[in-house]
Amino acid sequence: MASILFLVIAAIGVAAALGTVLSRNLVRAGLYLVAFFFAVACLFVLLEAEFLAAIQVLVYIGAVAILLMFGIMLTRDTLGDDTTAIPIAWMVPGLFMGLCVFAVLVVGINNSIAPSGWSPWEGTTSRPSLAPRESEPAWIAERREAVNDMPRVIGVELMTRYVVAFEVAGLLLTAALVGAIALAHREDVEPRAPRATARAAETGPPPEAGEPVASSALS
Amino acid sequence: MNNDIPLNWFLYFAAASFAIGLVGVMLRRNAIAVLMAIEIILNAANVNLVAFWRYGPPAPGSGPLPGVILAILVITVAAAEVAVGIGLILLCYRRWRVADVDRYDTMSG
Repeated sequence: MASILFLVIAAIGVAAALGTVLSRNLVRAGLYLVAFFFAVACLFVLLEAEFLAAIQVLVYIGAVAILLMFGIMLTRDTLGDDTTAIPIAWMVPGLFMGLCVFAVLVVGINNSIAPSGWSPWEGTTSRPSLAPRESEPAWIAERREAVNDMPRVIGVELMTRYVVAFEVAGLLLTAALVGAIALAHREDVEPRAPRATARAAETGPPPEAGEPVASSALS
Repeated sequence: MNNDIPLNWFLYFAAASFAIGLVGVMLRRNAIAVLMAIEIILNAANVNLVAFWRYGPPAPGSGPLPGVILAILVITVAAAEVAVGIGLILLCYRRWRVADVDRYDTMSG
């Protein structure tokens, strides 16, 4: 039952990813990207990481996709969308390259080499059971608590074991914020030559516009 | 609990998504579309991280959920990357009046 659900979700996800990459209309590509993010969130639910699925929906669909939509809206080429079309001459080698990369990855997945002391994971067909039972190893209990109470455990872990990574992530976000503002702020520094010339062309040459002011100031 | 999804299926899905995202990065000329393809690649990595976390025994001393924490950090980095990337693309669009990565060739020798 779960495997059928997985196959459906994975098919939707792969189709949405293909649509994102191959769609000519950028707005449609963005909507396909939302579908792909949602399929990945469903896979997180299947992997019993519901809190991560919620984060995925909130951050990716709620923030990243909307930001990309704003980017599409602000950079839409009014003269035509020829930058979004993929030439046929590129399409065939590109898809061939993608198939080759996928084939290499599949070969790597099917021929995994386990580190010494570990069982190889290529034959892993079931996840470790988290049902409470007698004489279980300590990490089973730990992980059961983490799965059942994930937001609290994630908060505790971020504040204790991964506090350095947490601080670095905060620093990165601050730097990204400052950098984005610095990039966007240059608008006011740049000279607005094209717009000024366009306005001058509309209102006529500047000396004529300046003469009445000067004459009125003299009189 | 459903125990009947093999681990390899998640890895196949991640590999397919990664390959598709890589094709998108290589083929698309629009800068926003390239950013979208990069997001697909990062999501494929996240699926791998969470699948390995759930299916494997933890490394000693790694805590109850190392894969999920790493996925959250990847999501953080992706969000920051998109914010800066959109700013850069808008800046380039303002200068060249086109969102085509083939035209951004100021630094080419």
